Amino acid sequence: MKEMDNNYNRRQADAKVPPVLECCGIERRFGGIVAVTGVDLSIRRGEIFGLVGPNGSGKTTVTNAITGFYPPNKGSIYLDGKDITGTAPHKVATLGVARTFQNLALFNGMSVLENILLGRHIHMKPGVFPTALYWWLARPEEMRNREVVEEVIEFLQLESIRNELVDGIPIGLKKRVELARALVAEPHLLILDEPMAGMNQEEKGYMARFILDARAERGISVLLIEHHMDVITGICDRMLALNYGEMIASGLPKEVVKDPRVVDAYIGGAHG
Amino acid sequence: MFYRLSGVHHNSYVSESRLYRIPADRNLALFFLALGLVAPLLVGSLYLNSYLLPWLVWTAAALGLNLVTGWAGQLHLGYAAVMAVGAYSAVHAAKFGIPWEFALLIGGISASVVGSLFAFAALRVKGLYLALTTLAMQFVMDWVLTHSPAISGGSHASLQAPTFALLGQPITSDIGLYYIAFSWCLLVTVFMLNLRRTGLGRALVAVREKDYAAAILGVNSFYYKIVAFATSSFIGGVSGAVLVATFFFLAAPEQFSVTVSIQVLAMVIVGGLGSTIGTFFGVALILLAPGVVNGIVAKGAIALGLQLNVETLAHIPTATYGALIIIILMVEPLGLGKLYGNIRDYLMVWPFDQLKR
Repeated sequence: MKEMDNNYNRRQADAKVPPVLECCGIERRFGGIVAVTGVDLSIRRGEIFGLVGPNGSGKTTVTNAITGFYPPNKGSIYLDGKDITGTAPHKVATLGVARTFQNLALFNGMSVLENILLGRHIHMKPGVFPTALYWWLARPEEMRNREVVEEVIEFLQLESIRNELVDGIPIGLKKRVELARALVAEPHLLILDEPMAGMNQEEKGYMARFILDARAERGISVLLIEHHMDVITGICDRMLALNYGEMIASGLPKEVVKDPRVVDAYIGGAHG
Repeated sequence: MFYRLSGVHHNSYVSESRLYRIPADRNLALFFLALGLVAPLLVGSLYLNSYLLPWLVWTAAALGLNLVTGWAGQLHLGYAAVMAVGAYSAVHAAKFGIPWEFALLIGGISASVVGSLFAFAALRVKGLYLALTTLAMQFVMDWVLTHSPAISGGSHASLQAPTFALLGQPITSDIGLYYIAFSWCLLVTVFMLNLRRTGLGRALVAVREKDYAAAILGVNSFYYKIVAFATSSFIGGVSGAVLVATFFFLAAPEQFSVTVSIQVLAMVIVGGLGSTIGTFFGVALILLAPGVVNGIVAKGAIALGLQLNVETLAHIPTATYGALIIIILMVEPLGLGKLYGNIRDYLMVWPFDQLKR
């Protein structure tokens, strides 16, 4: 824990670089329902940023606003200092944002390898002519990208299931394949929406280690949504807590989890 | 048995991404390729040109539909209309004096343009609504064809196709025409096989399976749907033109009616969505089974000494063929391609009976 604080302080020092992601006063309504309002958050380079809150508090809505699925009704979003508010999801991806989904979004009917190769899509130029003239046009590109994919497969220890269909592998591995698919895109910002939901302690440990290693080896910044508080306090540099679409606390994890409003939102008033 | 994984070692990604990773698969493919090449020596010209040739051309056409329906997941009930555009454009171009090579290309490109218009409907509506939209487009195309003498020559007329020629050499022999059909089918088949290992194929599957997940990976589903429609229409257009040039020898609106659209879709579904080998089987069943069943029933009736009246003789094959389709889809909803795959998977692990890939 001590070491982590030092890391954080060091990163605080070079805060001059623009944040990887900055959201200013995001509001998103669905009809009359205000899903999220007045959310400000800023993720610095190389930071693991936790986003927590009870179910329905608007965590996923925030990520959907960032990735362009539900553009915010108010407020703006900057990626590396560039305004990306309302950009279409497939364009946000090309700007260097990768994400995993709360309820897995792997493509059934394809193997693990093919799913991960899809993560390289933004670095490839697939088309009809390369497919027709595979041997001359597509093969060099496919092989180059295959090497990047294999590195990540090795990093996440997925070698043994490389050629399995994704339909048939256990959920812990599916989550890992989805992380691999996001990592091969070489994003600046990785958004993980409950990567450890439904996992046991051991699998959680593995996943936490992978996230830390991904940051250390690849220098990516992470926005992590989780319900497991031990994970949040264990690996996040800073965090933000939401309740009913509003920010209730933000700052260092060990302080935020002690904040009476956070405790109140999570466990209920009687406990406090 | 036959299909063996043991002893197959890949030491490079190139080697692992070859079309046929299992020697038996490769040998089988080569065997059928060779069989296709020497077919003119093996079968008489009647069988060659009234069974094999249409089978190959329809397979090429059905593979095109498989691209948009099986791979990209867009239901398409107006495929015959697209084939008609290709056929008529090519025939008109050829009549105008343009060499057939370019006429086929013109047919493909014009079909591609019209097919992309279908795609704009696909971007707005999904599933059954798309099926209905494409069906409506088929009816519009039927109407345009029968009511514009400039294109079809009038409602009951047909358009004579000029003699097929390659590099200025007219091709009139049965064998020559067979090889034209064979080459086109081979080209389309290789394209479809390559689709399994390129980014385009993966992107199409992504659009079919989960468009939101595709978007977050940077796959623009708008663009890939248009690509799927345009490419499949190109294949359909050229196939339509080849069909007219090598089989029908004249173009008439009835050849590309709504019934044909449904028949091609049936070929794809019975064969297996997304399956290349299945499409070959599916086309064979839909195209050739009625004739075969007809022959069996007629011969059987004579052998058993039964006196069947003409009406019964005409209905039994149709009923049998319909039943065959239903049985196949009940046994294996993923079609004949998957049925073959199951047998192959079984043999791969034989004598152990666990069905593992």
